[in-house]
Amino acid sequence: MLEYRTQGFNGYAVKYSPYFDSKIAAATSQHYGLVGNGRLYILNLTPNGIVAEKWFDTQDSLYDLAWSELHGNQCVVATGDGSVKLFDIGLDEFPIRSWKEHNREVFAVHWNLVAKDTFCSSSWDGTIKVWSPTRETSLFTLPTHTCTYSASFSPHHPALLSAVSSDSHLRLFDLRTPPSASNHLVLTIPLHAARTAPSNPTNFNVNTPSGPFPPNEALTHDWNKYRSNIVAAAGVDRLIRTFDIRSGGGPLEILAGHDYAVRRVAWSPHLSDTLLSASYDMTCRVWTDGSAKAVPEEGGARELGRMGVHTEFVCGVDWCLFGAEGWAASTGWDERVCVWDVREFMRP
Amino acid sequence: MASERLSSILSHLTPGKSGLSAITQKNPDDVVITLAIRTPLTKGFKGGLKDTPLDFIVYTLLKQVLDKSRIDPQLIEDVCLGNVSNGKAAYIARAASLAAGYPTTAGASSVNRFCSSGLKAVQDVANQIMSGSIDIGVAIGAESMSEGGDRLEKPFHDEILKDPNAADCQQPMGQTSENVGKDFEISREAQDRFAAESYQRAERAQKAGWFDDEIVPFKTKVKDPKTGELKEVTLTKDEGPRYGTTFESLNKIRPAFPQYGDRSTGGNSSQVTDGAAAVLLMRRSRAHSLNQPILAKYVGSTIAGVAPRIMGIGPSLAIPKLLSKYNLNLQNDIDIIELNEAFASMGGMAGLFVNEQL
Repeated sequence: MLEYRTQGFNGYAVKYSPYFDSKIAAATSQHYGLVGNGRLYILNLTPNGIVAEKWFDTQDSLYDLAWSELHGNQCVVATGDGSVKLFDIGLDEFPIRSWKEHNREVFAVHWNLVAKDTFCSSSWDGTIKVWSPTRETSLFTLPTHTCTYSASFSPHHPALLSAVSSDSHLRLFDLRTPPSASNHLVLTIPLHAARTAPSNPTNFNVNTPSGPFPPNEALTHDWNKYRSNIVAAAGVDRLIRTFDIRSGGGPLEILAGHDYAVRRVAWSPHLSDTLLSASYDMTCRVWTDGSAKAVPEEGGARELGRMGVHTEFVCGVDWCLFGAEGWAASTGWDERVCVWDVREFMRP
Repeated sequence: MASERLSSILSHLTPGKSGLSAITQKNPDDVVITLAIRTPLTKGFKGGLKDTPLDFIVYTLLKQVLDKSRIDPQLIEDVCLGNVSNGKAAYIARAASLAAGYPTTAGASSVNRFCSSGLKAVQDVANQIMSGSIDIGVAIGAESMSEGGDRLEKPFHDEILKDPNAADCQQPMGQTSENVGKDFEISREAQDRFAAESYQRAERAQKAGWFDDEIVPFKTKVKDPKTGELKEVTLTKDEGPRYGTTFESLNKIRPAFPQYGDRSTGGNSSQVTDGAAAVLLMRRSRAHSLNQPILAKYVGSTIAGVAPRIMGIGPSLAIPKLLSKYNLNLQNDIDIIELNEAFASMGGMAGLFVNEQL
């Protein structure tokens, strides 16, 4: 387990670079992101532990970051004053671009993993914006009319964009549709829908709640990297739900276990059924949704392990793409960035 | 800004429990108000609507609801009329809405909770939408004090009168106002100051045109008291605000209910009024699909009763009860309170309570 102390700054997001196998960026904020500045740390994993290569200070808090897929030295951050900033880590101090279009805190940024030439941001002002790093203004603005905590491009289709928001809905946008009053919105899934038929009747865990649930704020979501129709979403009601966007109905699996709101979920880039979650209950937990094995042994969807090193809300978690599969980084309000092997924390 | 971020984090920790972010969420299922209009409010017995019967007032305003909202009348499912004085209000609600262009497939009803009849009409329609009984409804409150009919015609049964609270139900509002003034020690001076402030605010608002977007002009006939001839007029302004009212001018007025007390006067009590107001309610998702503007979200209501002899203090119990249901704090979460100021005794009492909270 490697650890880095982001002294004075509370962590909100951490992401591995897609270009360098030992580079991590962490988006952090002073005073828990309520007031004060933000800082983007560029960290390197070295034989001497985690070493900070450099950091960039921003006027307002940082809530999310995304590495550029086009340029190995660039990453974009989401700030509390509504701006989205592009940093080049070869330079010092200042961003190379700052886009100020959102009216309120920007909670998420995500790069288009297929087309690689655009990225999206979502904000408390109820909009999602799609940008190109080379353009001065946004390309699209997609309204959600509700505080949108998380937006991401699908890793399978360059034109599919998804978002979850405070009104407890997952929205899917297809940018290929012609412009119209529906603003590219093709699907709206209520995250609080009751679970209908379990995907695996022989292993239906009767202890897991199946609904109906009251609407509650969704804070995070992520696309499965292998199964192009599966999305996991989680939020304030502490449950992680997986959905098949083709069915449009209730959740496939409900993973219960966290004691407080779940702030981040991330599907593994190596295993099609494994995901990591970070929660306000100070743990990161690894789960399986029970889909990998043809004949499941003991219980389909379940928790595989938890990492409880953090001593404050854990807000960011990300899998490492390179090297030995199973490494992850996490960051939280305890001013720590931790890099750890997930298998170490998995129970037999 | 920081406080908003903090309350949003707090709402993550106590889902559904922390007030402001829970009620300010915009959910497709919310009941929203897409239109809010009213007639000018005129003086009872003396003002512009004194010769206008209640059914015509209701009919005219219901027609305006359709005109201004441009909603397809076939979509309206219910009309609820809040009215106190007219025992046949349900007939009026039905006939007036049919004549105004509402389809026979819509329903109509009337409700009476005295001064909060209009609020009750809104609550009824909103509850029906929330429970899925209907999708779109109109709530209207209308009163013609000029037509009279708001007093009891005969006393209650002797058995009922044996209960002191029930017997107190027969007290007129002037008496209950004096009771509030005495019980809660709201002096004549305090009441006159409250009233003067109220008149000054109304004058400022009327001069600045703050009511212009909600008042719809009303064409009607008024009988000249001297000649008896009917004249057609178009009413556009409320007749209540008295320009240039000051504490000193109010202090000179004689008590209006000397048999009950000496604090409530014509100056620090609200006028007797004719007029009507209506709101159009539907779900947020419906409003989006019909392209109706969303003016406000109906969050909720509650009911709190008090002893009839001091009925004016209602708000001081209903407000905390409602706020606690939504985990809201008067001090931090509420920006504006709009109270029906029936009498300055009651307004002063509510003001005491509100100021203590702030």
